[in-house]
Amino acid sequence: MALLDVTNLSVDFQTDQGVVHAVRDISFQVGESEVVGIVGESGSGKSVTMYSVMGLLASNGDIKEGSVTFDGTEITRKAFPNQKAYEAAMSRIRGNDMSMIFQDPMTFLNPVIKIGKQVTEVIKNHNKISDAQAKEQAVSLMGQVGIPSPEQRFGQYPHEFSGGMRQRIIIAMALANNPKLIIADEPTTALDVTIQAQVLDLIKEMKEKLNSSVIMITHDLGVVASLCDRIIIMYGGKIVESGRAREIFYEPRHPYTMGLLRCVHNPEKKEKLMPIPGSPPDLLKPPAGCPFVDRCSKAMKICKVQMPKETVYSETHVCACWLEEAERRKGERHV
Amino acid sequence: MSDKVLLSVEHVKTYFDVTKGPFSRKQIVKAVDDVSFTIKEGETYGLVGESGCGKSTLGRTLVQIYRATEGRICYKGRDISTLTQNDRKEFTREVQMIFQDPYASLNPRMTVGEIIKEPMEIHKILSTSREREERAAELLKTVGLKPDHIRRYPHEFSGGQRQRISIARTLALNPKFIICDEPISALDVSIQAQIINLLKEIQENMGISYLFVAHDLSMVNYISHRIGVMYLGHLVEEGDADEVYENPIHPYTKALLSAVPIPDPDKAREKKRIQLKGELPTPLNPPSGCPFKGRCPIATEACEETRPELKDYKGHKAACFRIQT
Repeated sequence: MALLDVTNLSVDFQTDQGVVHAVRDISFQVGESEVVGIVGESGSGKSVTMYSVMGLLASNGDIKEGSVTFDGTEITRKAFPNQKAYEAAMSRIRGNDMSMIFQDPMTFLNPVIKIGKQVTEVIKNHNKISDAQAKEQAVSLMGQVGIPSPEQRFGQYPHEFSGGMRQRIIIAMALANNPKLIIADEPTTALDVTIQAQVLDLIKEMKEKLNSSVIMITHDLGVVASLCDRIIIMYGGKIVESGRAREIFYEPRHPYTMGLLRCVHNPEKKEKLMPIPGSPPDLLKPPAGCPFVDRCSKAMKICKVQMPKETVYSETHVCACWLEEAERRKGERHV
Repeated sequence: MSDKVLLSVEHVKTYFDVTKGPFSRKQIVKAVDDVSFTIKEGETYGLVGESGCGKSTLGRTLVQIYRATEGRICYKGRDISTLTQNDRKEFTREVQMIFQDPYASLNPRMTVGEIIKEPMEIHKILSTSREREERAAELLKTVGLKPDHIRRYPHEFSGGQRQRISIARTLALNPKFIICDEPISALDVSIQAQIINLLKEIQENMGISYLFVAHDLSMVNYISHRIGVMYLGHLVEEGDADEVYENPIHPYTKALLSAVPIPDPDKAREKKRIQLKGELPTPLNPPSGCPFKGRCPIATEACEETRPELKDYKGHKAACFRIQT
């Protein structure tokens, strides 16, 4: 059984301009101790998807449809009798069974509370232990994530830490209660490459140790290539393709995935960059058909009016594009 | 690309005095510390390094947003700190800058047309407003936007389109040299490639030189002819883009390149990474000796004492005592 099962999820946001359909009817699973990458541009719905899983949507956001089950239990609002029961259940899960690593460590940490106190808080919230024990655990945790002289660092404030060190603290807090699922939202985007490499190694190492599942939200194909078992490509609030890392990188099927791969420069290949023309769709008025239609060089008439069906290539590799369907029909006609 | 040197930077230092009060100890941030290099006509020079290494400060020193504390910056053979008023006007017209954040660098209360026309008005290019308007429309076409976008405001555009508007604004002055300070790091991957290709195209058509400041090494390798690697205010390695990328000789460049994630799952898993200890030290009262010694895997006692000079190793320069030739 999958650890996390998202089915037919749709998320809307009420704004002054109208309703934004940020996520539209997506389904995916995350298995136990699996690392899944969700890749997409800004506005593709990748963060919103995970925020709705965690129950952290902004107040104007709302899960319109669909269900999210975690470890066999439904965790959307509709499964609870009232808001209070829902909030209580979610705060038990968050930071305990499921935890999140955020992009910007400075906005996540409270600048006027000492680092040590913030780390122990996470531990004490979910465990009935004494202050001394909690402190001991926090210090050892800080040591594990590679903070030098953790006892001394325990009493310092966030501004005394560098960006990379703060991100390590965030990771320590996320790992404090041995979560089953870690959701990392662009954990290295704000960091330099050498620090990014250190942080990615740390996430990999801790994942092995705790045997947790990891969902990595990113726009950087380089980051997912080395880390993820499976990759989900999102565009305009839809999943357009998903598959094992090798399937996505070596046998991409969706024109957007192919385009995305041609946009990143691989110095070992020396190919000319082929940008995707245009810009992502406006989700206030999402297109009826394929979200990528306006930027796709192979678009057909049907792409504009109807969302393509999913074509299954292997047990793991699925792509939603009309081209495949067209090919298949052509083949049938020839027979 | 010609062999004529357009800009030469000689031993430039940019220091900032950050002493807190009249009675405190003097504190100086050595953001750029003794850097020399040249840029030829039609060439792209990529400047890479981690945040805090001084690459943006150097770019800004070149357009005199910051004054160099020491050293000489020569544009077309003339020292830019001693230009006459007329020459200075020419310099400010020919040397332009594109900034990182296209949301902050365009005035939200001006239309796109006004934004592009403003530099032409300041520098008295073209005589009538009408001609300028036509030129602005033409420039919008050059950068891949529609001429009728001229009456719109910046908020109506996406990040990539805004960056195109800033490029149109700099092109309005027919510049010879553009400093691009992280022009793509705020953009999405599919849009980054659009902007990079646009910059390349403009260079091919107009022969403009670029100083391309960025931390994304693979993109810098793609656009640049030559690359300089900065560390803690110093230039530690310099050479042809492919040469530096394929055969780095300075231990810092090696580590930096090994940390770049490759978009290829098989290669990424095989790749050996050189792990660097710790983080970039602060440029506030930096230590003596080699700036990289604290994190260097091969540092010796010699590195503690004196700072290595940038030396030539077959057309590829590096500042390190430990390079065997």
